[in-house]
Formats: sequence, structure tokens, C-alpha cells
Amino acid sequence: MKEVFSSLRRTPYQTFSGFLVLFFTLFLSLVLFVSLSFLHGTLSYLETRPQVTAYFQTKTPENDIFKVRDELNASGKVLSIRYISQKEAFDIYRQMNKDNPLLLEMVSSDILPPSLEIYAKKPVFLPEIAEYLKKSGGIDEVQFQKDIVDRLLTLTNTVRQGSIVFFLYLFIMSVVVLTTTTLFKIALKKDEIELLRLIGASNFYIRRPYIMEGLVMAGIASTFSFLIMIGLILYASPFLGTYLKGIPSLEVNLIFFDFKVWPLNPLFFAATYLLVLFFGMTITVISSYLATNKYLKV
Amino acid sequence: MIKFDKVSKKFPLGNIALNEVSFEILDNEFVFLVGPSGAGKTTILKLILKESSPSEGSILIDDMDISDRNFNDIVGLRRTIGVVFQDFKVLSDKNIFENVALGLMVTGAPRGEIKTQVKEVLKMVGLEEKSKVFPVQLSAGELQRVAIARAIIGDRKIILADEPTGNLDPKTAWEIMRIFKKLEGKKTIIFATHNTDIVNSFQRRVLVMKNGKLDKDHRKGGYEI
Repeated sequence: MKEVFSSLRRTPYQTFSGFLVLFFTLFLSLVLFVSLSFLHGTLSYLETRPQVTAYFQTKTPENDIFKVRDELNASGKVLSIRYISQKEAFDIYRQMNKDNPLLLEMVSSDILPPSLEIYAKKPVFLPEIAEYLKKSGGIDEVQFQKDIVDRLLTLTNTVRQGSIVFFLYLFIMSVVVLTTTTLFKIALKKDEIELLRLIGASNFYIRRPYIMEGLVMAGIASTFSFLIMIGLILYASPFLGTYLKGIPSLEVNLIFFDFKVWPLNPLFFAATYLLVLFFGMTITVISSYLATNKYLKV
Repeated sequence: MIKFDKVSKKFPLGNIALNEVSFEILDNEFVFLVGPSGAGKTTILKLILKESSPSEGSILIDDMDISDRNFNDIVGLRRTIGVVFQDFKVLSDKNIFENVALGLMVTGAPRGEIKTQVKEVLKMVGLEEKSKVFPVQLSAGELQRVAIARAIIGDRKIILADEPTGNLDPKTAWEIMRIFKKLEGKKTIIFATHNTDIVNSFQRRVLVMKNGKLDKDHRKGGYEI
């Protein structure tokens, strides 16, 4: 390790330019990753809300409502359906307006419609389900969050696709720049590498110091970008709190594990740090490998 | 044992560096390799070190046919060979101890063993007091002794010396030869040189190269330019 730090110090400009590129890549990747996690969390949350609510005419017989419910269940596109009778609707109404006796006096269970609250398996099924309900008999009104879910889906997909392209661009740019800076360093040590090859050093032995340097740089750049990201999130958390008011929690699935994203969760950030560290290390190991490869051909 | 059997080395543009060269060097033998510049001395050393491959013929080192296209244990081969260069190739950012230790470190030897062996070889070449010194503080003769120490450390059976006295004044050159004399009989030594005085005074086997061919093989001979 002593040699690694001394080598980094001996080539300050190459080290600094490599660090800046790596930091830029990792920081932007972190911003994208955390934003995507929040977007996915929001989408998942919305998916757990009643997605389509069908209000029936007050005189619609229960059997007709159950028929619609059973047909929807049989379609395979529905996760669950909750039937809310007129009496239950009135209970909910009473609960919601318990502080307003005037409103309670004006309404009886007869005028409140029975309804079905439907949860779709996938948001893409929502328009289809809504359309089916509109065509069914006895329906008074169909409400569903088509616009919100559609917009969020479009946004998430766009951000995801854009992120993949951007990640790739950042990855390739970093690898190219780091390979070039490592090549500069290696050029200064060309004679040493030549000597090591002649006295029987394995390729790994020759590569090791450059890989170690890369790993150290990746560690420092990941930690820096992570700390700045954490600072920004903590700074923005009051605004986020206002924006996400009413949402108890947001969750995202990361590499087979579910992490709570909101309220801010240390476990999610620990996983994020490990991911950015891994990403940084992958970039530097590949760069060191490519740079040393040129000098290791026998 | 090192055995060259009708070895030729031709380059794509038609230059012939070696032309059907055959010889055999026994274990722990001391051999001078002489001849004018471009005669093929360095090419022979490079072929033994597997820095390049022959165009024709075969090269055997012990039981290994290193000229075989399927031979791929280059690292293993080089760990049995120590090389001493005319320009020393001592690393300026490492002290003498570290430079000599390189010869063992590349083999993955344990720290304790490296420490013991470096001390031994530095003592042998007369540099035990300068292990912490950096190359810039040493004379040319001392640098060459560092290079010899690095070449002989560990279990290296063959020493290839490519004009190791070429950059040294006569007095220092003789000091270096005294070290090689100490190694005689313990390792196979191939010593490429132009120095007729050294070759003639040593009276050891001499392979004389001329225009890429083995011109003479004196069992106990001298050499004249």
C-alpha cells in the first residue's frame, strides 16, 4: 500500500485527472440511481393504491355487482377486488365526516353508491379494466388514476432508458480516460515492466500495482461522491417530506432485496454505497487491465 | 543443459540473425559468447530467454523444448534464468535491497526468505553495507554488482550476461569478473562480451559467432578480434 500511495503522489496530474473523471462518473451515477429508486418507489406505492373504482347505480342488485367482480377475477389481470356495499360506504362517509354533523344529517346510506375497488396486476391493464367496467350494466361512474400512473410509467421508463445510455456513456468515457492516464504512468515505468517480464514476473504481478492504484482511487472517489450525495439528500429531505406528504413509505427492489427508500433508510444508503464502490472498482480494474495489456504481450 | 539444434532466426524482411546454429552447454558450464556486433550474440540470449522464437530448429533447456509452439510456461522458464545487462537496468526509485529483492519477489517468495537471501547475495557481491542506498549514489561498477546480485538470487540456474563489462572501466570490469568467477561451477553462465582480455585470461569455453553463424567452438580457448 505504501508503494501505491507513493506512486499516486509521484504522478499528481494523472492521478488528479483520473480522480476527477471517476468522481464525476460516480457522482452522476449516484444521482441517477437515487432518483430512479425514488421514482420506482413512488410507482410501486401507486400500484398498491386502489387503481380503479367502479361506482354502481344505487339500485343495481348485489348479484349483478358480484357477477362483474367474478368476471374480473377470472380475467387474470386483477390482483384483488374489494366490494364496498352501501352500508360500508356510509360507514366510511360517517367516519370521514364525523366532525361535521350537518353533512352527516344530509346523507343516508340509500344515496351512497355501492362500489368495487380494483387492484390491477400491472398498470398497463388499467385502461382495459376501466373500459370493461364502463361497458358493464348498472355502472354509474368509473374512476381510475390513468393519467398519474401513465405519466409516472412513462417518466420511469424514460429515465430508466436514458440512465442506461448515460451509464454506458459515463462508463466508456471513464474507462477510456483512466486507461489513457494509466498508460501515461506505465510509459514512465516501461523499463521496469520490461525488466519484471524478463526476470519472470507473472502478468498479475506486473498489473497488481496499477490495479491497486485504481482500487484506491475508486474507493476515494466513491466515498467522496457518496458523502456529497448524502449531504444533498439530507439538505433536500424537508422538501421531499413536503412533496411525499401522505405517503407512509417508498420501497424499491435492489438485487433481490427490498429496501425502504423513504423515510430515509441507512440500509438503502449502505447498499447504494456498496454499489457505487463496486461500479467504481469495475471501471478502474478494467482500465488498469486494458492499459497494462499493451505492455504484457510476449 | 542448453541445446541449440540448427537454430535459425529470420526476420520478415529477410534479415538473418542466426543461421543453423548448433551447440550444447552443460549444466554449470561457463561459456563466453563472442563476436562482432550483429554476429548474433544477443539473439542467442533472447532466444534462451524466450524473448523471441526461432524460425527453424529447436532449443532445449533441460527437458523443455522452448522452441515448441505449444510451450507457454515462459514465466516459469524466466524464473530459472538470471539476466545481467550492459546498462544494468537497476530501478532508480528503489533502494539496493529492493532492487535485488525483485528477483525473488516476482516468484512470490516469503518475506523472511527474501530478507535472508538478499543479505547473502549482497554480501557475496560486496554491497552488504549499501542495502539502503539508492542507485543514484552508486558507481557504475557497484550498479553492475547490484544487477548481478539480482540475477543470481533465488534458484536461478542459468545466468545470461549481455556484455556486463561493456560500460565499465578495465579495473571495475575485473572486479565484476571476480564475482562471476565465484559463481563458476554453481550456475550455467553464458557471458556475451567483446572484451578479448577477459576472454583470453579466463581460458574457458568460447563460442565465436560471425554473421549469424557459429564460427568456432573453443573448448578452452581465447579470442581475437
